[in-house]
Amino acid sequence: MSTTVTPTRPPAPVAPVSRARWVRRIVLLVLVIALFLIPAITRIEGQTLVSNSLLFRFTQMFMLITLASDWNLTGGFTGYVDFGHAVFFGVGAYGTGILMGHGWAFPPALFAGAVFAVVFAYMIGFPTLRLRGPYFSIAMLGTFVAMREIVRVSKGITGGGVGLTLPPYLNRPLFYYLTLILAIIVVGVMWWIRRSEFGASLIAIREDEVGAEMRGIRTTLHKITAFAIAAFFTGLVGGLWAYQNTFIDPDLVFIESRTVELVMMSMLGGLGTVAGPPLGAATIYWMRDVVWKNFADYHLLAEGAILIGIVLFVPAGIMGALGDRSGTSIQRVWKRWMGGAAGEGEP
Amino acid sequence: MTVVRDPSVKPLLEGRGVTKRFGGLVAVQSVDFAVYPQEMVGLIGPNGSGKTTLFDCLSRVQSIDEGRVLFKGIDITSKKPHSVAHLGMARTFQVIRVYRKLTVLENMLVSRQWRGETIWSQLRPSQADTEERARELINFLSLEHLTLEPAGTLSGGQRRLLELGMALMPDPDLILLDEAASGVNPTLVETIKDRIRRLNEERGKAFLIVEHDMRFISDLCTRVYVLNYGEKLAEGTPEEVMEDEAVIEAYFGT
Repeated sequence: MSTTVTPTRPPAPVAPVSRARWVRRIVLLVLVIALFLIPAITRIEGQTLVSNSLLFRFTQMFMLITLASDWNLTGGFTGYVDFGHAVFFGVGAYGTGILMGHGWAFPPALFAGAVFAVVFAYMIGFPTLRLRGPYFSIAMLGTFVAMREIVRVSKGITGGGVGLTLPPYLNRPLFYYLTLILAIIVVGVMWWIRRSEFGASLIAIREDEVGAEMRGIRTTLHKITAFAIAAFFTGLVGGLWAYQNTFIDPDLVFIESRTVELVMMSMLGGLGTVAGPPLGAATIYWMRDVVWKNFADYHLLAEGAILIGIVLFVPAGIMGALGDRSGTSIQRVWKRWMGGAAGEGEP
Repeated sequence: MTVVRDPSVKPLLEGRGVTKRFGGLVAVQSVDFAVYPQEMVGLIGPNGSGKTTLFDCLSRVQSIDEGRVLFKGIDITSKKPHSVAHLGMARTFQVIRVYRKLTVLENMLVSRQWRGETIWSQLRPSQADTEERARELINFLSLEHLTLEPAGTLSGGQRRLLELGMALMPDPDLILLDEAASGVNPTLVETIKDRIRRLNEERGKAFLIVEHDMRFISDLCTRVYVLNYGEKLAEGTPEEVMEDEAVIEAYFGT
């Protein structure tokens, strides 16, 4: 008697989902639901739903979460510490602003602004991503400063130093939900990338780019793709910010501290982790908003001290302190570049 | 005695007059060599004789100043390192290169090579069959208890094994081994030797092996090239080479 034996694959080993993981998931779900409900349940005396200032503050935080996660894709996962990342924010903001000035509606202008940021990322990424370590960081800072001046002198298109005024539009719940959804999407995208082969190969590039290339990873393509993904979402935030702010000028949009902020948030949370940058962004935003606004003159001093403290004492950030060993630190990333080859002997 | 070969068999890897200079220093000087399918070839020479530089030229991380290299009949002299890897050449490194922050399993998974694959297809989590293959190789190298540990926590010898696994992951036709046994304990060396022999006999993999331990070479290889000051000093079976006057002089002086 012959029986056809269907080749069965042994069941793929499924990682046991621990109780801690379920707890984390439930907490995350509750948090997201709460964030969705906030506009409906908060009332501030003398303010309507539309002008609720709490929503405005949350909106700022969601934007920072998105931006820090974007920065972390190139700076944390791929190990290219970008000191000019806010340039994509500027391109997005100006792209959206200029197109709306030509009568475009907000949604297509926003999308087009983000596409401009991607195009710009490709243009600038091909030369700068060949540079390594601090050289890349400085080149991006240069790009950023150059772009600010280009915007300032191109009076015909950008309005120059006078700036651009967008059609005023006050609707805080709308911006609240837009930025909340964007932040959720971006963190979701980062989570997905981290567990995909693409994400693992980005980390391989960070850990040893030459080795990765010799093992068949198309490093240039991978780096530029990561750069473009980050630029797209950063451009979206730039456009949203421009519309919400209703006015943009070079000094408002292209601020160095915007990038430094993102670096600091990612470092505080944990470079190269998915949860780190959102945690860092939220922490720093609320500390700034709630605690330090009462000590207006000292808050920058305190922030600088925190930055130094992170670098010296918790280089792997909050996530590192919580035992997540997959992240990295700026010291480690740069040391690798400066140390040449594979950096033997350093954990 | 030289190895008699059917002239119709084309070499898998062939170098013609390969030259590499670093400024005034000639690291590799017009070296001719060939590795035939399913062959195991040794590459020996004193320190600084250009073995690793030649490997770097073959895997294209170093540019080749003169000469040509053909792999499977395709000229790879000016190809990118990743395209050489995609053609089926893998290597290990004298200075170990593993991705420390990735787990052993992830190290293996990213080392499968993506020939002609798009970024889009890599945005999926790894496929079950890829993972199965990675776990199989991890078992083959007796690293299964470390599968989910970051590679940075492994010992030197374990990292060598992991590197070998990473080289095997894409199922290459030719593997360049750069001192795969250095810093590995003697029992493990025997294991590595046995694995290499099995890969050669059962799966027809060709190897080009740089090694200082002559026993390692003579146990495995049928043919040996000797480099000295970047030039090819001798070639032949391990026995012939070991009795060659010029080789003895290069290694031990006069």
